[in-house]
Amino acid sequence: MKVAYYSPLPPSRSGIADYSALLLPALRERVDVVVAEQGKRAPSADVALYHVGNDPDAHGWIVDALHKRPGVVVLHEYVLHHLISGITIGRGDGRGYLDAMERELGVAGRLLGLGVLDNLLPLLWETQPERFPLAGTILDDARGLIVHSDFVAREARRAGYGGPLWRIPHPAWPMHDVTPADDVSGDPLIGCFGFLNMNKRIPELLQAFASLRETRPGARLLLAGAAGERFDLSRRLERLGLRDGITRLDYVPEERMWSLMAACDVLVNLRFPTMGETSGSVIRGLSLGKAIVVSDVGWFSEIPCEVVLKVLVDDYEVPMLEAALGFAADHAAELGANARAYVEREHDLSHVADAYAAALESAAGGDAVDDAVLWRIAEAAAEVGIDDVAALARAARESGIIE
Amino acid sequence: MRVVVAAPQVPFVRGGAEVMAEDLVNALRARGHEAELVTMPFKWYPGARVLDQAFLWRLADLTESDGRAIDRVIATKFPAYCVRHPNKVAWVLHQFRQAYDYDRTELGQFSEEPFDRATRHAVERLDKVALGEARRVFATSRNVANRLKRFNDIDAEVLPHPPQTLDYRTAEPEGYVFSVGRLDRAKRLDLLIEAAKHGSFRVVIAGVGPDEERLRGLANGNVEFLGRVDDAELTDLYGRCSAVYYAPIDEDFGMVPYEAFLAEKPVLTTTDAGGPLEVVEDRRTGVVVAPDAEDLARGAAYLTGHVDEAKAWGRAGRSIAERVTWDACVDALLS
Repeated sequence: MKVAYYSPLPPSRSGIADYSALLLPALRERVDVVVAEQGKRAPSADVALYHVGNDPDAHGWIVDALHKRPGVVVLHEYVLHHLISGITIGRGDGRGYLDAMERELGVAGRLLGLGVLDNLLPLLWETQPERFPLAGTILDDARGLIVHSDFVAREARRAGYGGPLWRIPHPAWPMHDVTPADDVSGDPLIGCFGFLNMNKRIPELLQAFASLRETRPGARLLLAGAAGERFDLSRRLERLGLRDGITRLDYVPEERMWSLMAACDVLVNLRFPTMGETSGSVIRGLSLGKAIVVSDVGWFSEIPCEVVLKVLVDDYEVPMLEAALGFAADHAAELGANARAYVEREHDLSHVADAYAAALESAAGGDAVDDAVLWRIAEAAAEVGIDDVAALARAARESGIIE
Repeated sequence: MRVVVAAPQVPFVRGGAEVMAEDLVNALRARGHEAELVTMPFKWYPGARVLDQAFLWRLADLTESDGRAIDRVIATKFPAYCVRHPNKVAWVLHQFRQAYDYDRTELGQFSEEPFDRATRHAVERLDKVALGEARRVFATSRNVANRLKRFNDIDAEVLPHPPQTLDYRTAEPEGYVFSVGRLDRAKRLDLLIEAAKHGSFRVVIAGVGPDEERLRGLANGNVEFLGRVDDAELTDLYGRCSAVYYAPIDEDFGMVPYEAFLAEKPVLTTTDAGGPLEVVEDRRTGVVVAPDAEDLARGAAYLTGHVDEAKAWGRAGRSIAERVTWDACVDALLS
């Protein structure tokens, strides 16, 4: 069976590119894969697989291909407002944006969209994208859907997606010897990796860390990742008197990131609001057997409590976060062992690749199988005077015979 | 209790599964229950036909009969366990193995074409739904339970069933290795026939099946084919043999080792035989060798040449087989 594979790939700097770089070799051992390239003719295949994320630059061409030829969609995050606005308004297609808003919220959505187009409302993808995910237009063309979390599965069903759906965990990177970086240290050393913005709860993290430093003056926070345009980190650090306790690094290449993570005692990965995303950074931390603190939202909530420490996003977030960081540092070995066992059990690359192959095989031939079964049932029914094919199809679907 | 035993039937084919279903009905009746065997024909080819037939089971209404409720349904095989009933118990002899461990082997039936691959996954999906509905899932061996866990993530309790009720007896061994069962490739009789060319022991084979002509073509003068035998002949053949051969590839369970043990005979099997290895232990209840004709010949020669040891191992097997009773099975299935 041949699969046309649509995804950003390295050197593109995105979590989905890293994801595909990890998955592709394992998937190629199971099915025949042709990687589609932007700007080139679509490869012919039995089924097409589209990795969809929220970045219009990385995923716009993939969505275009999906609209031309429906196939299996991997929904890496549920909130796609930025993607949809980018491939509609960003291309001068305001009507497309209005259609997407209407698909989401009916006439009210269309009116809101008009408000955005006429500069009467703030840009929704910047201010409150989680309220208007706009995944509907993607789901409409999905002949099968792969998600990484129950959270996204629920949201997709709530949006009316009724087709086959597979929940396949994010694969873990096979562990190799990682030498901890020796140019960073702390007692404890707490690491936060990835793009830094309000959504990652950096202000709350800095407040909690400042409090932690009062009882643990040797603590250090490593912030590694590019900062958002409107996020003035330096001023915040100054205000909290944290200049000494912080090590700040911009984007770090993959190998360096592993090494820095390995040097940390605790990793922290906060989120709110969630866009339904899975965190490759958390998966890496679990693989390294690290104690990890996360926000109790979306996919992060689905990780077992004995594996990560989860902090609710509420009025007590900062003190709870401070306590969680301290607890994680004191129980790093135990939490780390749980993390490693969990990731080996749930995120094993070969199991993930098996699940992908099974999903793709089902998607490629599933409709034909359903049609064949229905045809024979309808034929037999017609011979005895039952010609309500729709009722037969419902019965077959309801009984689990067809999807 | 009113109990239905649901089992598929392949017309004109009778084997261990059919015997087991009938014995279960008899065991239930013997304990005062109203029991009935309900069956439908099963033809697993071509392609998606298996799904049509699963649909027939899904449509069957076994909630009541003649105005009275049916209290429990005990289903034994795919697609019979697809039947819907609020008190369904699955006692899985095996799944539709072509969709699982046989897939992409010479015993499989699904090609690499998208239609076939999707059919295989549809069977897997359906199993998950149908077995997920059961109030309890039992497997007749650890091997079957492991497959349910591995392929469907279903936890099954292991509940072996007794072999067919016959007048098992033992007699002095007469130097032959006995095999009984359907003659098909999965039973791997060609290995035994090949082994007979490497040794001086005799082989006696009872049973009929689609592979018979090929097997006869492979055999030398040491091998005797008896065709179908009746119950009296069967117990006589068990009683007089030196050992019983049973080495299908990764077998689900297999009644043959239990029958051999009840006749106090050791079992000759292979390291990849699956279910039989749960009761056949090397040099305690039989001989376990690599799946290789020469190794098998050495194993058979040992069993035919060391009569006292072979008898002792057969007796050890008997004590294992006697622990598996219908009382225990019925209690578990109706609890």
